[in-house]
Amino acid sequence: MRGTSTTAAAAETTLHRSRRQRRFWNRSGRLAVPYLLVVPVVVVIGLVLGYPLYWLARLSTQKYGLFELIQHHGTSVGFANYSSVLHDQIFWHTLLRTVIFTVANVALTMVLGLLIALLLVRVSTVVRLLLSSGLVLVWSMPVVVAVQIFYWMTNFQNGVVNYVLTELHIGNFDQHDWYATTFSQLSLVTVLIVWGAIPFVAITLFAGLAQVPHDLVEAAEVDGARPWAIFRDITLPVIRPILLILTSLSIIWDFGVFTQPYLLIGQAKITPGNYLMSIYLFEEGYFKTDFGRGAAISILMLLIVAVLSVVYVRRMVRIGTAQ
Amino acid sequence: MKRRIIVALGLVAVLAVALAAATSAATKKTAANSITVWLQTDAQSGWPDVVAAANQQFQSAHPGWTVNIQYQSWTDHLQKFDATLAGGGGPDVIEMGNTETTKYMASGAFAPLDKTQFDNYANWLPGLAASGRYGGKTYAVPYYAGSRVVTYRKDLFAKAGIKKLPATTAQYVADAQKLLAKNKQKGFSPVYIAGEDWYVAMGFVFDYGGGIATEVSGKWKGLLASPQSIAGLTAFKNFFLAASRASKTTIETNPNPYNVYAEGLAASMVGPSWFSCCVGKKYTASTAQFVMPGHIAGKTMPGFLGGSDLAVPITSSNKALATEWIKDFTDTASEKALQAKGNIPNATNLLGNSVNERAAARSWFVPTAKHWVDVENGNILRNMLGQILTGKLTVKQAAQSASDNVASVLNQP
Amino acid sequence: MNRRRRNRRMRQLGWNVLGLAVFVVMVFPVYWMIATAFKTNDDIVSLTPSWIPLNPTLQHFRDAINKPFFWRDVVNSLIVVSVTVGISIVIAFMAAIALARYRFSLREVFVVLVIGIQMLPQAGLIIPLYVVLARYHQVNALSGLIITYMTFVLPFCVWTLRGFLIGIPKDLEEAAMVDGSTRLGVFMKILLPLMGPGLVATSVFAFITTWNEYIFARVLLNDQAKQTVTVWLSYFLGTSRNTDWGALMAASTLTAIPVVLFFIAVQRRIAFGLTAGAVRG
Repeated sequence: MRGTSTTAAAAETTLHRSRRQRRFWNRSGRLAVPYLLVVPVVVVIGLVLGYPLYWLARLSTQKYGLFELIQHHGTSVGFANYSSVLHDQIFWHTLLRTVIFTVANVALTMVLGLLIALLLVRVSTVVRLLLSSGLVLVWSMPVVVAVQIFYWMTNFQNGVVNYVLTELHIGNFDQHDWYATTFSQLSLVTVLIVWGAIPFVAITLFAGLAQVPHDLVEAAEVDGARPWAIFRDITLPVIRPILLILTSLSIIWDFGVFTQPYLLIGQAKITPGNYLMSIYLFEEGYFKTDFGRGAAISILMLLIVAVLSVVYVRRMVRIGTAQ
Repeated sequence: MKRRIIVALGLVAVLAVALAAATSAATKKTAANSITVWLQTDAQSGWPDVVAAANQQFQSAHPGWTVNIQYQSWTDHLQKFDATLAGGGGPDVIEMGNTETTKYMASGAFAPLDKTQFDNYANWLPGLAASGRYGGKTYAVPYYAGSRVVTYRKDLFAKAGIKKLPATTAQYVADAQKLLAKNKQKGFSPVYIAGEDWYVAMGFVFDYGGGIATEVSGKWKGLLASPQSIAGLTAFKNFFLAASRASKTTIETNPNPYNVYAEGLAASMVGPSWFSCCVGKKYTASTAQFVMPGHIAGKTMPGFLGGSDLAVPITSSNKALATEWIKDFTDTASEKALQAKGNIPNATNLLGNSVNERAAARSWFVPTAKHWVDVENGNILRNMLGQILTGKLTVKQAAQSASDNVASVLNQP
Repeated sequence: MNRRRRNRRMRQLGWNVLGLAVFVVMVFPVYWMIATAFKTNDDIVSLTPSWIPLNPTLQHFRDAINKPFFWRDVVNSLIVVSVTVGISIVIAFMAAIALARYRFSLREVFVVLVIGIQMLPQAGLIIPLYVVLARYHQVNALSGLIITYMTFVLPFCVWTLRGFLIGIPKDLEEAAMVDGSTRLGVFMKILLPLMGPGLVATSVFAFITTWNEYIFARVLLNDQAKQTVTVWLSYFLGTSRNTDWGALMAASTLTAIPVVLFFIAVQRRIAFGLTAGAVRG
């Protein structure tokens, strides 16, 4: 009951303060301030990416291979590149596969990351330092090395995973080839990506949890509130913006992930049957030096990711504008 | 206090940027009289002295000029090269794998060269020379090559009662049975060959007179379904099933055959001659090599002639000097030095009697087609082998499908 | 009273045990990397995995450090990363304040721009970026790489810092204003400390992403004296022959050290908010 009265009091003060709020941030004659604050970022991004974006868009409407690259001149073919990609069966199969892959990766990353962040709050200082440093160690491992370690661990002849699973009598995994089927391959890639992504999510959420009103939580605990209620009513509202951000970022990144699947599965075992979107882009566009097609696929990917993440992004923007 | 920290950080940032810009400006001045050469890291770790000698020779003939060697990785050197073709700043000399050249030659990426300028040009290894020629002109100079040999355990062969090295594949299969009888460990291969090792499998195809594809009046025709090729593929399938316990769907780099060998799980393996470097301390003394026999006595199995060429990009502003450097790096003295390091030199008149070089006497090469790289990247041949060995398709079905696939990829505009 | 204290201690112990278990599972591959760096070559490729290096050797570390340009490339990485992170955090924070605290007409456009940049597949940008930078002589220059990295890191920083800012209620600043503090004072004494954790987490992310970036560094930097440490690492792998795994693992362990040191130095800031009882209602 004390909890609700505190929130009621806070709400009252907010009402009183709202008028003065505007005065703090939007003093008269300072309308130019937000634009000034935003200019450096816009300038940097515009300078560097302005031309490449234009180039990409123009290229997607041209026939542009190695020959044209050397000549610095392509021939315009209208939307032929787009139409060829959209009529390609492989494109659609890859898209479906990548969507499922993204959902699985993002779900696992966010859930496990949040759980570990909550754990970080509860452990003692020494364990917290150990665990967070360990997470950073994981985070800082170069992808190439991480892939190689995972490969060794899952090697069908002498990998520890097979060895341990067999020793623990979970089943006979002796000489089990983890790379035999597409599902198995992509599952391994998922484990690798989630493992590598958890540190970022956990540490960022941990930083967000640091903003949760500590005394409110203690007061609620003293009143006998259940942990789930505390989480839902006190913690979640504070970290909601960050959760949304991390989810939208994870969707964007996991949809376009390239290095981990490309290296773990290996160029020799990559087939249209296990393509992910970024690998499809790489193989069909850049590996074959069909840059026009590559540009078209890039733009299509951009549009697809935008559609996929629009729900989270819009919610994120709305939270900010509500204030 | 905090303000001071922010100011300090800002100063540091500004200083660092200034430093970075300054260093780049400084190097621009010294870059005035130098040529840039892109070699692969194999040269850096394998024969740095040969590179140094060529640089020395070049610099004394052209005083005031320096050679800037930049080592590249096989995995991304083409991506980097493409970027320089678009934006400039590329090398004056570039090392290309002999399967990578055709696409670039067809797109006009290289400057034509006068082959008579180079040592031993009349005797260049046919496999390598073909990879540097397009439309009747020479665009790339053979640098070095490597073939496939058998690396084997003398002690295991002796224990199995094999007194003479096999002279035909049939004899080899018989020897494999003897080895199996004496070595009962799980996963032991008398001859370790990965199931999808297309380099070895195609050797069988060429041994029987078959091929991968051939150009007939401007169009590519697949040869994998010809009776000879099918005979070769069937011979490979039988050899594999009889002699190798490798996985039917793994490739020749995962696991590395020499790692299997070093564990004592292979009596012999087929691969490049440098495999002998990595057989582990236990077996180095008892390891030797011989040339893989073909199915006809007296004729060796054709081995894949891998190798590198050197080319001058069309974007180079020092083409004449670049050509001079290539001449210095591929002259007889340099080639002999490369030979001493275990490579195959680029000309037949320089060939010695090592196992590696004897194996090169009968070799095969991939079709010199603009889109061959796409066939390799599409894993068409590997998948065909996997289907054949696992029995998913008959040899004829798999070969027909692969042959059609190869032809359609090669015939792309 | 005693029972409650004991219960609390049991619970704390339980959490600690769980924390350690998570640590072991997550860090195992890293442990494998470090252990491999100490194993002899024969142990590395052995068929039976050895949990602890039986005959530990320092040879791989020696090989790694002696590989040409190691120290030079580490310095290059440090320069690139610190300048990128330093400038990016500052201007991203400014932009985040604009987004989170102000209402201006082009706000939505800017948000779309920030998010959109992150959705671009990077593979497509390599060649055009190279062409642009080459035109301004920024190829083979650390400054060119810095500005490239800033472009990729900024959207994320702006987006994340905005999220942290939104989590801080505006009435705090109002309360301080009422109490007579100056605007700058409010910024320094209220906003900045509360943003501490967010700023630190964001800069750690920026640090790690930039430190580990490979393909743009590879394409944009030519001279080995200018390359970053990730490119230096790739020289262990680039040959068509046998890879020196021991040396690669040793080299990777060495390159991970600066990142961990940076984190340990700043991580206290993240936990600061927790113990100090951040927001007072």
